[in-house]
Amino acid sequence: MKRRDVLAAGATFGLAGLAGCSGTFETESSSQFTTVEDRAETVYYPGHIDGMAMLGMGGSGRYRLGLMYSLPHAFWNISARDTNLARVSEDVSAHLMATIWDDETGTVLPTADVSADVLKDGEQVDSRPLWPMLSQTMGYHFGDNVALDGDGTYTARLDVEAMQARAMGGLAGAFEEGVTVEVEFEHTRDQLSNLTYEEFPDRMGDPGAIEPMEMEMPMSRAPERGDLPNVLGTGTTGDADFVAFAPDTTPEFADDGTTYLAVSPRTPYNRYPLPFMSLSATLTRDGKSVYDDVLLAGIDPDLGYHYGAAIDGVESGDSLTVTVDAPPQISRHEGYETAFVEMGEMEMTV
Amino acid sequence: MEDIGSSGASGPSEEGGLSRRQFAKAAVAIGGASALSACLDRGGSPDVAQGPDDLSTLPARQHAWDEFLTRDDHGNVVAPRHRVLLLLNYAGEATPSDAERETAESAFRSLERAYKRGNDGLLFTVGYSPSYFERFDAGLPASVDLQKPRALASFEEPELDEQDAVVHLASDHAPVVLAAEEALLGEQSAVNGVEMDADISGVFERVDRRTGFIGAGLPAENQDVDGIPSSEPVDEEAPLYMGFKSGYRKNQATEDRVTISDGPFAGGTTHQLSKIRLNLDQWYQQDSRSQRVSKMFCPVHAEEDLVEGVGDNLGDSSQMEERSCPAHAEEHARTRGSVGHSQKSARARDEDGSPLMIRRDFDSTDRDENGDDGQASLHFVSLQRTISDFVDTRDAMNGTDLAERSAVGQRNNNGILQYMEVLRRGNFLLPPREHRALPTSNPS
Ligand code: HEM
Repeated sequence: MKRRDVLAAGATFGLAGLAGCSGTFETESSSQFTTVEDRAETVYYPGHIDGMAMLGMGGSGRYRLGLMYSLPHAFWNISARDTNLARVSEDVSAHLMATIWDDETGTVLPTADVSADVLKDGEQVDSRPLWPMLSQTMGYHFGDNVALDGDGTYTARLDVEAMQARAMGGLAGAFEEGVTVEVEFEHTRDQLSNLTYEEFPDRMGDPGAIEPMEMEMPMSRAPERGDLPNVLGTGTTGDADFVAFAPDTTPEFADDGTTYLAVSPRTPYNRYPLPFMSLSATLTRDGKSVYDDVLLAGIDPDLGYHYGAAIDGVESGDSLTVTVDAPPQISRHEGYETAFVEMGEMEMTV
Repeated sequence: MEDIGSSGASGPSEEGGLSRRQFAKAAVAIGGASALSACLDRGGSPDVAQGPDDLSTLPARQHAWDEFLTRDDHGNVVAPRHRVLLLLNYAGEATPSDAERETAESAFRSLERAYKRGNDGLLFTVGYSPSYFERFDAGLPASVDLQKPRALASFEEPELDEQDAVVHLASDHAPVVLAAEEALLGEQSAVNGVEMDADISGVFERVDRRTGFIGAGLPAENQDVDGIPSSEPVDEEAPLYMGFKSGYRKNQATEDRVTISDGPFAGGTTHQLSKIRLNLDQWYQQDSRSQRVSKMFCPVHAEEDLVEGVGDNLGDSSQMEERSCPAHAEEHARTRGSVGHSQKSARARDEDGSPLMIRRDFDSTDRDENGDDGQASLHFVSLQRTISDFVDTRDAMNGTDLAERSAVGQRNNNGILQYMEVLRRGNFLLPPREHRALPTSNPS
């Protein structure tokens, strides 16, 4: 069997957890989760956030990777529109998180698949694929709760697969092959249990989000609406904001003479891009369809993560409908699990 | 030690700390004369009928198992519960001689005389790899499509099994597979009251040994391994670790469909073998039951709550075509962002709508070549007429086409890809019975 921290997470973090147990919380157990009753289908302030510690960085080629951890916590995963609370199991000791970005442009990369092997003294203590995740303080990252084996020096070996989005601009041609990145880190139980545990008793459950954290590494933020070129319209569904635009230059993969129609969905407040969605669009002019098909994920250092298609052109007066066919298939930390699930159509007039 | 394991006989009869099923599995995993004798001490010798005296009554196909296997209430074939895979290298230099061929063949014939074919007796096949056939000047005939193994997805890096041969032994009785192995390798001279006329120890070297099990109760009783959370989540009725029944009659090809139809190897088939590591912590601890059903079968199966327990209620079909799941794979990818393993795989069909392969896979606790125990894994054995049929099915299962145009990830919400890692791959030719002993590349 794997070597595992037998110390149940609850034992270390019990006090902190109980401190947050006021009347309006539903507290499963000290190390479980606290959640707000009657959550609206919007982004809301969570009951608390766990502080994080930076563990180290690594890289290979243009890939850069930052590794962090916090106390273990529950989160929600999603398949289709079916969200499920993934509780903290008894044998885990930390919540491990990785952010991956491009060394040249600092763009956070929406790669499709990242898995982690955690080793201590050359022996594997945990091994798992990481969930793509969204949290209010960090935005888009990869993570899961993992089992560590006491104080000491660890190596995290992360397999990062090719990026599952069309690379544009300064990213064109890059990230078509995956890499393995190793990060060595020190872990002590003291360091982990001394991490901050911040509560929001007054705002908890209210619409809103905790501000993005200050980090030593890039964050996935979509550009402000005003910083995007040729904005065609905006919309909102499932509490996410959408900006449709048409950049002046079309990406390499588009045919000559076409216009690139792009849609940038982001979380309210923090402007985190929303990956792993199925989006489609119809563009009609004088009642005739100009485009009626899917938009595919793309990433550009200036335009950020978005969904787009090359179309025959867009003119003032056209009507554009953007449809969310499938909501973001990305696991969510507390405060993001009720929003971005039931999502529909947005009409915009150019 | 019977371990027939019909669902009723499930209670672990604790003896020496191990239940009957744990013991049977452990004995097969350990192997050798001492495991066999421990097995016999504990359970006694199973009463197994001998095979026919006249071996010409046996089918020409090595892989003709189905007519000898038990059927469940729905007509699905019931897989033999205990398995051993022996990976062998030819022991001689250059090419095998006729004398060596006769030795190997008489060892195989002795086994056939010793045990009748069936769950209650013994089934076995012998296959040969592309590397084996390389020693002959002539290439394999065009009627055989046997390719060298390779990685079949961007996210896998398998070690390649390029040993010369593989023997697959199967029985409901642990001591039968163990004794057959011992006799084949020359460690015992008689088996089930039949003298071995020869053994293969002079013509083959055993270079690896893999073991496993399938069938209700065995996964549940042997779930204290890496890759399965300690909460013991595996259902007592589950034939495999992931908790669902597999091998519905209508979702398997027929033996005719996978049989090579012409050339010197007519009556044979191809055998693909992979070793898959299972990582079911997230599957059991973080996914809900409905997510598991959706990812294993199809989103419709979850939305309409079609699967009860391990899925016996589905009858003789996993209800893929019946619910139009394969035809809607792309639509589900677009509108759900999640697709099922069976749904994707069932897109691989021939012109007549038949699946391309027969799955004869089983679970294992083998960790690595050292025989170290304790990792949940699966030895995926499938039979198909051509290795291309396997590659096409695996492509369909990868769902790369679906992920490219939708919210489905490379592995996230893409069937069960997230929970498995292919560690090894090998391809073999299962010749017809008449050519199963060290065949040339173009036998006459
Ligand atoms: C981790 C290992 C695997 C498990 C636990 C597993 C389990 C299952 C289950 C429960 C089903 C549905 C029931 C049935 O139709 O039998 C199924 C279907 C199927 N699986 Fe797997 N599977 C695994 C790996 C594979 C692999 C490696 C392949 C190779 C391509 C594969 C190909 C198929 C096919 C072709 C079907 C039937 C779909 C159809 O043709 O109707 N599976 N599997």
